[in-house]
Amino acid sequence: MRRLHPFTLLAVAAALPAAAWIAPPRTGGMATVAAALVLIVLLDGRQVFTVARAAAFTAAPLWLFLFVLHGTTGLVETGLRLTTVVASSFWLVAVLPPPRLVEAMIARGWPVSAAFLFSATLSAVPALRVRAGHLVDAQRARGLRTRGGPLIRLRALRALAVPLVLSALHEVDERTLALETRGLGPGIKRTPLAPPPDSAMQRAVRWGILVACVAALAWRIA
Amino acid sequence: MPVRLLALIPVAVAINLALSAAVDAVGLPLFLDTTGTILATALAGPVVGIATGALTSAVNSLRNPTFWPFVVVQVIVALYAWAATRGGWFRSLKTAVPAGFVLGVIASAASTPISYFIFKCATTGGIALTTKLGQLLGFPPLGACFFGSFIADFGDKAVTFALVTSILHALPRRTAARFPFALRAIGAA
Repeated sequence: MRRLHPFTLLAVAAALPAAAWIAPPRTGGMATVAAALVLIVLLDGRQVFTVARAAAFTAAPLWLFLFVLHGTTGLVETGLRLTTVVASSFWLVAVLPPPRLVEAMIARGWPVSAAFLFSATLSAVPALRVRAGHLVDAQRARGLRTRGGPLIRLRALRALAVPLVLSALHEVDERTLALETRGLGPGIKRTPLAPPPDSAMQRAVRWGILVACVAALAWRIA
Repeated sequence: MPVRLLALIPVAVAINLALSAAVDAVGLPLFLDTTGTILATALAGPVVGIATGALTSAVNSLRNPTFWPFVVVQVIVALYAWAATRGGWFRSLKTAVPAGFVLGVIASAASTPISYFIFKCATTGGIALTTKLGQLLGFPPLGACFFGSFIADFGDKAVTFALVTSILHALPRRTAARFPFALRAIGAA
């Protein structure tokens, strides 16, 4: 499955939730959840367990909230749809590494800036999260009180958030310099190093999925 | 788009997603997940703010796909932050905090239909519980859903606006001057 073109994988992952909402709630939901679970089962050995567990941990609270708010009927009808969304998304994350998607975007003529934004964000978020953790530890070591009344907590929040954000903004200068050095600018085209192979068959499948979704929607509305 | 503004977007998205560590440390019921969107808009305008909001939802969706439909709220927050920048509401906390409260009402009104029609209001634990409280108080289904979102968003957006104002004023003038709207946002230009 990993060999499929990223756009084909995206089309499948988007079609399942779409079908879950277009089809009748119970039967349609059951069919799309089953399809998403089949996709997960088809993953490589260890990934099956990891992805299924992550999807279950994400979906379980939603089932609980639905049961508390709407009882068994709401749990079954909306729960199946939401489970489809969760399961197909986790499957997509498992089969589609972001760098491969970026390569496909560049190969298809997307602006370099769009590809940069996606990949740079994925690397910036974990780095800033680690820095946030260090900052919390450092401020606590300096005697910052993070517990107490709301005002004390709000002051502590300011003492933690402002330095973190300021340090992140100073990083913009370094990133700008690095990007300019690498020649990133408007109107510049890049050549992808390893563009994912596409085929007429896969293009036909993507169009088929789109046509099927539109036809199903028209059938449901009629 | 100038390279500096392009470089700002991933940083602003990271701010949106990393501030949860500070919130966890102080144990307040806040999200602060629009701080980067509002800050990016105040520094660099609505296009950068909208891109930050959309990318935040996309990256968050990789971890929890239920975030994606709320991309609309991020866009509305960016547009409101642009109005706040042009209106000079970041000049002091006296104007920023009420503006944040208003955004809380707008954001909860914008997120209610998404939350109701897609998730039946079962999005996060806090919102589900406050929606249940709204049901017990006798609100109609959509009203209970709005009540849940309102409780979550009202204070959160006021704190976010106060925080962004503090950051804009703490930013060294030389750094602020490198962004097109930063000095205007705080009334220094």
